[in-house]
Amino acid sequence: VPPSTSARRHLVAHHTPLLVAVALLVAMLVLYIVMFAASIGAMPSGYEAASVTDNAVPLSLAAVGQTIVVLTRGLDLSVGGMMDISNSLAATKMHASVGSEILWTALILAIGAAGGLVNGLLVAFGRLQPILVTLGTLSVFQGIALYALPTPGGHVPSGYTGIFLNPGVPSALLWVVGLGLAWAAFRRTRLGVSLYAVGNSEAAARAHSVDVRRTKVLAYVLSGVLAAAAGIALATTTTGGDAVGGDVFTLSSIAAVVIGGVSLFGGRGSGVGAICGAFVLTLLVNVLFFANIDPLFQPFYQGLFLVLAVGASTLLGRMLRRRA
Amino acid sequence: MSWVLTPDRRKVLYGFAAAVALFIIGEIVKPGFASVTGIQEVLQIASFVGLVAAGQTFVILVGGIDLSVPWVLNAAAILLVSVAQGGNGRALPAVLLALALGAAVGTVNGIGIAVLGVPAVVMTLGMNGIVQGLALGATHGLTCRGCVTPAPTALQDAVNGHVLGIDASLLVWLAVILLVTFALSFTTFGRRVYAVGNSERASYLAGVNVRLVTVALYALSGLFAALAGIALTGFGGSATLGMGDPYLFQSIAAVVIGGTYILGGRGHYVGTVAGAIVLTALISILLAKNAPDYARDIVYGVVILVILLFYGRQAEETA
Repeated sequence: VPPSTSARRHLVAHHTPLLVAVALLVAMLVLYIVMFAASIGAMPSGYEAASVTDNAVPLSLAAVGQTIVVLTRGLDLSVGGMMDISNSLAATKMHASVGSEILWTALILAIGAAGGLVNGLLVAFGRLQPILVTLGTLSVFQGIALYALPTPGGHVPSGYTGIFLNPGVPSALLWVVGLGLAWAAFRRTRLGVSLYAVGNSEAAARAHSVDVRRTKVLAYVLSGVLAAAAGIALATTTTGGDAVGGDVFTLSSIAAVVIGGVSLFGGRGSGVGAICGAFVLTLLVNVLFFANIDPLFQPFYQGLFLVLAVGASTLLGRMLRRRA
Repeated sequence: MSWVLTPDRRKVLYGFAAAVALFIIGEIVKPGFASVTGIQEVLQIASFVGLVAAGQTFVILVGGIDLSVPWVLNAAAILLVSVAQGGNGRALPAVLLALALGAAVGTVNGIGIAVLGVPAVVMTLGMNGIVQGLALGATHGLTCRGCVTPAPTALQDAVNGHVLGIDASLLVWLAVILLVTFALSFTTFGRRVYAVGNSERASYLAGVNVRLVTVALYALSGLFAALAGIALTGFGGSATLGMGDPYLFQSIAAVVIGGTYILGGRGHYVGTVAGAIVLTALISILLAKNAPDYARDIVYGVVILVILLFYGRQAEETA
């Protein structure tokens, strides 16, 4: 049976946020290329593509983690703190041997899972509001990171860095595509579907025998693991460690998620949208650079863009829903 | 109004009990901590958190949040010293301008949230960046000639002065406490705040101008952040970059430790006052113990979580 007009309209309205995110990404990419060509007099090459992608990878990872939590109607403010920990550990503990690199990658991801588990247990079983739990653990994680690396320093083995990024070759794009594909598979798993169910209505999810608590705990665990991965990626792009280097990602991951069309009220959105959001924000920094904007004014344009982008898509969504 | 010890009021009492306990611990750790001067020192620092948290309480009571607090505070401080140019003659207009800036930014926040329907987290986060960029850009990163001038001595004296042996800044806070408490507990405005926080739809149907109330609350939040910026500038003697940063998470934590429900509708500024004192006393004890930075962060986070586990838990959902 072909879908009725009204069902099709619902479908369009349902996917509008993701479509808006993709449209924003395309528009920002075009703007970037135009600005680049206008100021340099040439088209961006593999070197520029690599630099943009490398910079967007940590935020993409953190934003997908944030998406998973936001889908359950939660919020993870501890993302920045977890990135601080993993960034510090990656830059100080890893030695230039395959064994050490594998061991520490696994250990750091496990620490991310453990941190996320604490968040998840406190939210699901402690019955505390997510924003408060993660505000508390943010402080704890920041303390642990400072303990691991009191002053900025350390470095990541160059062989390890090469796994993620290579100057001139946007090899990091493979990771981004992999992340997007992993999301597409994940959202079709039992846990993926449960996330959406819990975010839309906990009571309804429970009635359909979704284990709400388990779903929430796993959401925070995954966010912790992805934040830890983001911290490792940050350490490879900056090739060093900084115990406060991850802090900005708490708020920028929320910005990426929102620009990516994920609803902060839960149950709606896509990790692919969040990745688009991360790239939009990263491209914006480059566009501002080529527009010769005083770097001091940069937060102004970033803030304005966030408000305008979300305001416009809010109005658009409202109009579409009214017609549907 | 009956004076029954409702669960909400019990939370406020717990908050103050925690504050008293911390002063006792402080006295054991460092004799003199709970002396009259010791307590006044802690309260003076707490007053800055308390001022910011007054606005944060208002917006959280309607289920919102204000993430623009750090740079509204900072921009107000920078505007103050830039306009006053160190002279006492222009101190008053500078203070009024700084307050107007805070109220204006808050009004824009409120319009974006209540009228355009932008989520509070996004609107105020974006606004924080907007104000930060404007403040940094306009002052060339706080290197311009006018903006590094010290705060007018009249303001410094006013903030650090004493009236009847009590710090002047504490008296300002006391006035704010009385005013906000009166507004929340004894006025129609206060009733409307709780009504909107409990159900926007029901309030709207009952004839409350929900949008107007929401815009007014965000304007107040901006105003209080600016007031804290002014007080901090007088206290420290100058405006500095990043001076507002600690106040975002501290103001939210103070509101919540004070027993206000983060999703709105329940709580009171009196509780927030207790929360601000608890947080500041805790930090002061850790400073007195010369605890390293990392230990301070960890203890701070753990204590917030423990306090919340004691009484921040939501009712068990019925399966």
